[in-house]
Amino acid sequence: MAGPGGEVPLDVAVRALAAVPAGVDGAQVTASRERSLAQRFARSEPTQATSVDDLSISVCVVRDGRTGSSATNRLDAESLAACARSAAAAAEAAARSGAPAAFPGFAKAAAARAHHGYDLDTARLDPRVGGEALSTAFARAAALGAEAHGVWTAAEVQTAIASSSGLATVDRVTDALMKVTATAPDGRSGLATRAAVATRELDAAEIAHRAAEKATFPGVPVRLPPGEYPVVLEPPAVADLVDWLGRLAFSGLAYAEDRSALCGRLGTRVASPAINLSDSPRYRGTLPRAFDAEGVPKAPLPLIQDGVAHRVVHDTRSSALLGTTSTGHALAAGGAGLPPAPMNLVLVGGGAADELELCAGIERGLYVTRLWYTNPVRPRETLLTGVTRDGTFLIEDGRITRPLVDMRMTDSVLGILGRVQALGGRSVLVGDDHWYGRRFASGVVCPPLRAGAVRFTA
Amino acid sequence: MLALLEELVDSASGRSEYADVRHVRLREERVSTRSGGVEAATHDEEEGIGVRVRVGGAWGFAAAPGSERSAGEDALERALAAATAMPRGSAAQLAPEAPVRGRHVAPIGEDPFAVSLDDKLAVLLAAEAGLRGDPRVAVSSAHFLAFREERAFASTDGALLEQVTTDCGGGIAAVATGDGETQMRSYPASFRGDVAQAGYEHFRGLDLVGHSARVADEAVALLSAPRCPAARTTVVLDGGQVALQLHESVGHAVELDRVLGTETSYAGTSFLSPADLGSRRYGSTAMSVTADATTPGGLGSFGWDDEGVPAQAVPIVREGVLRGFLSSRESAGQVGLERSGGCMRAAGFARQPLVRMTNLHLEPGDAGTLEDLIAATDDGVYLETNRSWSIDDRRLHFQFATEVAWEIKGGRLRRMLRNPSYAGVSPEFWGGLDAVCSEPAWRLWGVINCGKGEPGQMLRVSHGTAPARFRDVQVGVA
Repeated sequence: MAGPGGEVPLDVAVRALAAVPAGVDGAQVTASRERSLAQRFARSEPTQATSVDDLSISVCVVRDGRTGSSATNRLDAESLAACARSAAAAAEAAARSGAPAAFPGFAKAAAARAHHGYDLDTARLDPRVGGEALSTAFARAAALGAEAHGVWTAAEVQTAIASSSGLATVDRVTDALMKVTATAPDGRSGLATRAAVATRELDAAEIAHRAAEKATFPGVPVRLPPGEYPVVLEPPAVADLVDWLGRLAFSGLAYAEDRSALCGRLGTRVASPAINLSDSPRYRGTLPRAFDAEGVPKAPLPLIQDGVAHRVVHDTRSSALLGTTSTGHALAAGGAGLPPAPMNLVLVGGGAADELELCAGIERGLYVTRLWYTNPVRPRETLLTGVTRDGTFLIEDGRITRPLVDMRMTDSVLGILGRVQALGGRSVLVGDDHWYGRRFASGVVCPPLRAGAVRFTA
Repeated sequence: MLALLEELVDSASGRSEYADVRHVRLREERVSTRSGGVEAATHDEEEGIGVRVRVGGAWGFAAAPGSERSAGEDALERALAAATAMPRGSAAQLAPEAPVRGRHVAPIGEDPFAVSLDDKLAVLLAAEAGLRGDPRVAVSSAHFLAFREERAFASTDGALLEQVTTDCGGGIAAVATGDGETQMRSYPASFRGDVAQAGYEHFRGLDLVGHSARVADEAVALLSAPRCPAARTTVVLDGGQVALQLHESVGHAVELDRVLGTETSYAGTSFLSPADLGSRRYGSTAMSVTADATTPGGLGSFGWDDEGVPAQAVPIVREGVLRGFLSSRESAGQVGLERSGGCMRAAGFARQPLVRMTNLHLEPGDAGTLEDLIAATDDGVYLETNRSWSIDDRRLHFQFATEVAWEIKGGRLRRMLRNPSYAGVSPEFWGGLDAVCSEPAWRLWGVINCGKGEPGQMLRVSHGTAPARFRDVQVGVA
């Protein structure tokens, strides 16, 4: 697949690798082409449509155990050579600085396994498909007296890596996401979202209908006082918590630096026996990856089994601190400023049929669609704070009875997972819709769950 | 480049109601050291052309890398296709703006990209070495950052502009651990430090080496400090935390696209409405806020925004009353403002502009220095350096935490307290503002991670603030 100017990413990566000056100990070039389309809407009208087609390269050079990096999207021979020289010069300066060596070198080439994460129809990025989805969402929301806000987006990303250790590989993925926040005339809102490898799996009518149902749920919102309540969390809320857990607790760098909640706790129970969490890059329903940012093949890794923490994830730099090997979780070649993290988290479901069955065990509690602006308060405790949003309801005597005024949750993720009482049987992919910088779609596959005594502080 | 942009605009003019074209070239250098080693030494460049068109009331935007005619033509065709595929929009009128031509280069001292990497690493490693005297410091880090943006712009309304800005800064941080506790101290601010629209002189002036020993000592002392107790009390915030408070509970709330509901699904809405202008009480009479894109050194300063609207200083709050919004030509037109506030900004070439903060300042008061303010406070807590932040999607209910606090008793700082946090409701909190330090204590604080939009855009902005005092605040909430 050719990129802007007819360039093929692997060819560009190989040319840039050849331009790395002699005398360095190793080099890796990553060429990434993003073709994406995002169509946004608000108040059942289109607001923005963004089409991106870009191909950029990043060169990481190793010299005496130190790394230097440089990136560009200018692909002429002189620009590639300048980029390679810049990375080499940075590595040389780092080596001259006298700072101790921290990077052992790039992994030897290893074959990555094929995956199901590419869809040809999606890669066509036809804006008319998104336009039709928007029209459908507007009509479905209107049918319930609501307005639709949200985004329909799809992308094709091709990543090629060439390295001095013999790697020359390509990964092609597609991703698609539709999110609808419906608003009712009284100002209440409801969210439904779906992510997948292919755009055909995004059912705009179903997504908009679910969102509008929440926004227009009958009743006047009531207010609960701060306190501890049992909760039913929908997958978007669960995914938010689990994603933070992955970054805070399962980062091999945090573990090596004595900052992780799992320090001294691997091999011990950290969550309810019902919790089984893994990083599974080829799990059906996830957004698969063939290899990480250092070209290390992706492989399933159990993180919590029956409530017992087993492993943390590493890139080359963090693994070197503990004398182990990379688990294939690098987010940047050489670990330059980005710690390793699991990007294909899968929380195994349980036996409850759906969210309503999970509610059945609660006398008085909260039904939470999603959390918003969740941020760590004390990372080592996995203590987070965030606000419920877009579909928060009161559960009374085992059923949802009326809307609730949104509340602030401040609790530990591991604490909540330790108080999980039941999980739903149907897991879904909750896609991350941030895409700051270059597109790197990821998400958490998880079911809804019920947990006891979750702390709400306002 | 301007000639190509003009040609692209001409080509778009017969096929759209409005079009603008940007060429952007970015250069970025990040250097960081961590626990004695070089963590990252990166130098990135990118350039490309972004074309925005309006067809049938719907916007379309497309971006392509490079500076060649073919890249611009490709982006134009895809932008037109994207706009055409959208359902029809209501096509609100853009607020009028006179066409302007010009060039703006933000002044700097020493070019940060001309300073050798060896010199930068020497400063960072020396500063970081100063953090590592105590074995309880588990992680030490030091950071340098520099950014340069070269932008060219043309629109079907006749604007033809070029501008260049350079930002530079850095910081240090120490993480201490012990007995299952983890505490952090940073200087001059958390999250990689402080950045300004300036040259290398700003980084050098931070004197990271000179502050490292104190930062490390405070991180270690926090391990055994008592927890900040829960109470309703008087709070004095340092200027950096006032900047974060202003950013989250005022800046985002007065973005007019949020007020009008067009960012509902991602960034959220606002507790304000257009009808609040001129009458809504936002805070006490000690609260005056200005959005100023002309502030020297501010990360939100420019010659023109990404719609070609000249930089302006816009009153947002005066003596506690809402007086203005952050606006674009479209949102200004929707609410009947005479003119855009000039707040449309885009990250790089591959994103379309959104209503974003320019430099948002809390105007200084007359409370003297921080020491004067503490001396004038009988009982309360002094909180310093942001550590955590969260606020609801209407920018009303917030909960923030800082790295450290000290008790205030009888006008003096007493015990250090760990894990301080506080919570409130935006207008009630600002209603409790009763003192802001005077102009000599007022300075800019750079924020380099302000996110908004889908696809996401990270922008840099500064806030001018001085330490300030708030009455009757709930602390110790987390």
